Amino acid sequence: MSVDLQKKNILIVDDEKSLRAATQLLLEEEGYSVVSADCGTTGIEIGTSNEFDIAVIDLKMPDVDGIEVLSNIKSKFPNTICFIATAYASYETAIEATRKGAFGYIPKPFSPEELIYNIEQGIKQRNLVLEAERLKKEREERLLEIANEKSRLNTILKTINDGVLVINLDGQLTYFNYAALRYLNILDFKIGDKVIQKLPNEIIELYDKIISSEKFLIKTYTKQIEILPNNELVIEAAVTPIANPDGSLAGIVIILSNITQFKKIELIKSQFVSMVAHELKTPIAAVQGFINIILDESLNISDEQKKEYLQRSSVRLKSLTDLVNDLLDISRMELKTKQREIENVNISDVINSTIQFLELEIKKKNITIDKNIQENLPSIKADINEITRVFTNLLSNAIKYNKDDGSIYITSHQENNFLIIKVRDTGIGMKPEEKEKLFNEFYRAKNEKTRNISGTGLGLSIVKKIVESYYGKIEVDSVFGYGTTFTIHLPINQN
Amino acid sequence: MALIAIIDDDPDIIDASSIVLKSKGHSIITASNPNDGYKIVTENNPDLIILDVMMDEPDDGFYLAQKFRREKITTPILMYTSISKAVGMDFNKSEMVPVDDFVEKPISPEQLINKVDALLNKVKESI
Repeated sequence: MSVDLQKKNILIVDDEKSLRAATQLLLEEEGYSVVSADCGTTGIEIGTSNEFDIAVIDLKMPDVDGIEVLSNIKSKFPNTICFIATAYASYETAIEATRKGAFGYIPKPFSPEELIYNIEQGIKQRNLVLEAERLKKEREERLLEIANEKSRLNTILKTINDGVLVINLDGQLTYFNYAALRYLNILDFKIGDKVIQKLPNEIIELYDKIISSEKFLIKTYTKQIEILPNNELVIEAAVTPIANPDGSLAGIVIILSNITQFKKIELIKSQFVSMVAHELKTPIAAVQGFINIILDESLNISDEQKKEYLQRSSVRLKSLTDLVNDLLDISRMELKTKQREIENVNISDVINSTIQFLELEIKKKNITIDKNIQENLPSIKADINEITRVFTNLLSNAIKYNKDDGSIYITSHQENNFLIIKVRDTGIGMKPEEKEKLFNEFYRAKNEKTRNISGTGLGLSIVKKIVESYYGKIEVDSVFGYGTTFTIHLPINQN
Repeated sequence: MALIAIIDDDPDIIDASSIVLKSKGHSIITASNPNDGYKIVTENNPDLIILDVMMDEPDDGFYLAQKFRREKITTPILMYTSISKAVGMDFNKSEMVPVDDFVEKPISPEQLINKVDALLNKVKESI
C-alpha cells in the first residue's frame, strides 16, 4: 500500500461496500489520496501503520466498533484528524467519541457537499495542529540549544586557568569561577553576596573609580596584587566595566591571572643582573685602586711596587676577560644561538688532549694524573668544543683546588647506554653546604683554603649546562679536606 | 694617627687601601672574611672599621655591622659597596643599616682619605 506524500491522505473505515466506494471516488476526484478499510480490524491495522491526515470511521461495524478504531489511531498518531460517521447518532456516543479525540461527527446519510465541507474543516485543523507541533518542536530545540550553549560557556569559564568575577553596581557577586577563589585565597563565595569589601584593596579602588565616574569607557584597568606574602602568590587583576544594552553601567568583570611564576623569573633575572654587575665591578675596582695609587705622587710608591701592582692589575683584567667570555658562552647556550658542529667524539682523545693543554699547571703543582679508561669505548655524537670545555673546566678545577703533589684520578667506562666519566682529586674538598650551591652561577667556595684560587664562578655552571644539553647529568661527591669527585653520565647516541 | 681595620675579601682592595691609609700615618689591620673581621675588631679595638658589604655571601658585611652594634661596639664603620645596596638581596631591612658612611668601589685615594678623616674627627668631637 502506498501513501502519496504530496496529497492529503484520507483513510475511510466502513463495512458498507457501496458507501465506501462512493466516498473514495468522491474524495479522489477532489484530489485526495484515499485508502479504505472494510472492517474495524483492518482500519486499526492501516490507521496505525501509516499516519493519515484524516480518518473517517463508521461507528457501527460488525467486528470492532468505530470508537475502538478511533482510540487506537489516536493513541498512535494523535495528530490524525478523525471523524465518526454514523446513522445512529446519540448524545452519549458523541460525547464519548469527542472524549476519545474525534474532531467531528458526520451523520449518515451525508451529501457529497457535507462530506467535502467536513473534510476541508478537518484539513484546516490538521494544518493548525501540525503547525503548532512544528513551532513547539522548534521552540524546544532552541531551548535545548540555549541550554547547551549556556552550559558550554559555563564549562569553559569554570575550567579556564584565569579567575573570573562579575560584580554589579551594588557590589554583589553575579558570577564567579573557582579559579577566582583560588587566586584571591578565599574559601567560598555565594552568588548575590555583597563581596566587594572582601576583595583586595587594589580591586576595590578600581571598582570605586569606575562606578563613581560620570562617564565610563569600556577600558581595562590592570593591577598587580600580592595575595600571599613573599611573592608566594601574585596575581594580575584586569577590571573592565560592563554596559547594559542601553549603554548604562551594569557592573564590572574582573579577570585574575596568576603571575607568580613571572614574578619569580623577574626576581631571578634582576638578581642575576646584579650579581653580574657585582662580579664585573670587583676586578675593575681592584685595577682602578692600583692605578689610583700608582698615579698618586704623594704616596711615593717605588718602581718595584708599581710593577707589582701593574702585574696584579693584569691578572685581574685577565680574569675579567675570562668572566666576560664565560658570560657570553652561557648566554649563547641559553639562547641556543651557538652553532653546534656535531661529530663523533672520542672521550678518551678529549681527556688526553685536555691533560696536555693543562700540562703546565699540572707540573707547577706536581700533580700525578692517574687514568683508567675502558678500551674501545663507543664515541658519542657531540660538539667537540663543548665536550672539551667540560673536561677543561673539570680538570682545571681538580688542579686548582688540589694540594701540591696531589693526584687526579680519571676513569671512564660504559654502563648500559651511558658513558660514565669520573674525575677525582685529592684536594681541599667541600663542606656539604658548599656542595649544594656548587652549580649556581658565580658561586665559589670561599674559605681559608680557597682564598688564592682565582675563577669566574661560572665554570661548573657551564659544565652542567653543556652536560644537560646532551641529556646527561653531573653528580658531585666530596669530603671536606680530602677531595672531590665529579661524575658525568653522557648518553651514547643511537639513531 | 689611628688604628684602622679593613675587612674585605679582595686582597688587591685591601692592599691598595692600606697603602693609601698608611701614607697618612695610620696603622692597618686586615681580615678577609666576616669571622676574622669580628676577631680583629674585638681583639684590637680599632678607631675605625672599613667593611666590605659582600664577602663570602651577599650582604654579610651588613650582618657583621649589625652584630657589632648589637654587641655595643660603636666604632665608626665605613662601608665599601659595589652594587648590593641598590638591589637589597635578603638583607634584614627591619634593622637600621648601622654604618656611618658608605663609599662605592672603585675608591679614589682622595675620597678614601676624606671619608676616613671625617669619621675620625667626628669621634674626636664627640669625646
